[in-house]
Amino acid sequence: MWRIVRGVTVAPVDAPTVILVLVVVVALSFDFTNGFHDTANAMATSIATHALPPKVAVALSGVLNLVGAFLSVEVALTVTNAVVKIQTTSGAPREDLLSGGGADLLTIVLAGLAGAIAWNLVTWLLGLPSSSSHALFGGLIGSTIAGLGWHGVNWVGDGSKIDGVLGKVVVPAIASPVVAGIVAAVGTWLVYRVVLGVAARYTDNHFRWGQIGSASLVSLAHGTNDAQKTMGVITLALIASGHWSSTTGIPFWVKLVCALAISLGTYLGGWRIIRTLGKGLVEIAPPQGLAAETSSAAVILVSSHLGFALSTTHVTTGSVLGTGIGKPGATVRWRVAGRMVLAWLITIPAAAVVGAVMEYIADGLGGGVLGAAVVTALLIALAGVIYARSRKNPVHAGNVNDEWDAPAPADERTPAGV
Amino acid sequence: MHVFGLEIKALGQILLVGLVLGAGLPVLFSVGIRAMAWGAGGDAETHPSGRAAAAPHPAGRVIGVLCFAVVLAAVALGITYVVASGFGKVLDFGHVFPTLVDKS
Repeated sequence: MWRIVRGVTVAPVDAPTVILVLVVVVALSFDFTNGFHDTANAMATSIATHALPPKVAVALSGVLNLVGAFLSVEVALTVTNAVVKIQTTSGAPREDLLSGGGADLLTIVLAGLAGAIAWNLVTWLLGLPSSSSHALFGGLIGSTIAGLGWHGVNWVGDGSKIDGVLGKVVVPAIASPVVAGIVAAVGTWLVYRVVLGVAARYTDNHFRWGQIGSASLVSLAHGTNDAQKTMGVITLALIASGHWSSTTGIPFWVKLVCALAISLGTYLGGWRIIRTLGKGLVEIAPPQGLAAETSSAAVILVSSHLGFALSTTHVTTGSVLGTGIGKPGATVRWRVAGRMVLAWLITIPAAAVVGAVMEYIADGLGGGVLGAAVVTALLIALAGVIYARSRKNPVHAGNVNDEWDAPAPADERTPAGV
Repeated sequence: MHVFGLEIKALGQILLVGLVLGAGLPVLFSVGIRAMAWGAGGDAETHPSGRAAAAPHPAGRVIGVLCFAVVLAAVALGITYVVASGFGKVLDFGHVFPTLVDKS
């Protein structure tokens, strides 16, 4: 409840407000993980081919994500509608979830975000690129099932347009790496044919420039697409708790903090994932880098133009794989690719399970401030554990390009069983 | 099944346009590089060690620059598209030349 006292807005600290603050903080944390999880999509190939020094690449990508996030004036308020039914089609929260100052809806969103962050952190630890949007969707699906039941999930839409978990998540997840892979493979194969007979020293220099350009485009598109999602989630929470009412605009501070969170995350660089995508999957040469990034940029932009946005992660990974197939004699590490596909398959269920467990915990504790606080505390604890584990074999700007198959130096080996 | 048809159609379009832009542009770019190398002559192109390096061809540089210009224009269009969609506009190719129109 807001009270106006002599022109000064006084917000008594009531339960929904506390939960709202937690939701905003956790949503921004998700945005941050989204940033560092996806730096690889744009920059892994440029880093691998030494088109850009690692630090410069992540800085460039961070700035372009910031710019991109500010360019997304469009309101992504209906982002959750693709998978769950907690909003109306206009973007307003469902009336029946707003009892008690919106605490029910806020808790579902909080638990969903927790599931998404947990999955993003685990896959980062394993160095696996996986879709942050899918993690978010998975977390929300889980918390909604736990909070509202199975009918709260928009499984297939109403059949009139591409919608629902099946149409907007499952089918694109399978199709997008294939589409991007074909484009990149064809591009790579043709590029190598065209420059046959030109000295490699001469071509590589040019190709590196092309790579920087195409990678920048991917970064920009990522900023516009992904920052919007967190902006939409935070605005939904603000509406649910009565702090915002417009469904056609978002508060400026939401845009600002979301843009900053995603670009800071990007700048931090998810070096573990960059390493997998740039070195682990395929050994990338400059012409392949150019073909992969152009394929990614084209597929991402065309798909979002058609209103059928594909996951940046799935597209870029498909492109990198495709470029390995398209270059005669290139090594593709199918084992690494297999691990990735496995991660994609379990992204939604895994994030959903965590989201559901979090929702049950919050609900079991009364669904109020206590529940939300415990969920947040659990998330912080998990993040701490994962960070501690990651320190045992750190990947950073200095070793991101080391040979993939080379054994680690003996003194850096992690002690077994710790 | 109606939705499934829509998905196939959308994916088909993405693949088609993706091939034209996503594979076409790198190829055009590499044609530019090839032309530049031909234009530069000397050691830019590989040649058997016994034979003399090729002489420079000024025409090659012209072709190369043209190719790069087209690629740059396409990238500029891509950036315009990203920026424009943020302001509720879309690129319309209905009049051959791309124009910005309000999103329907």
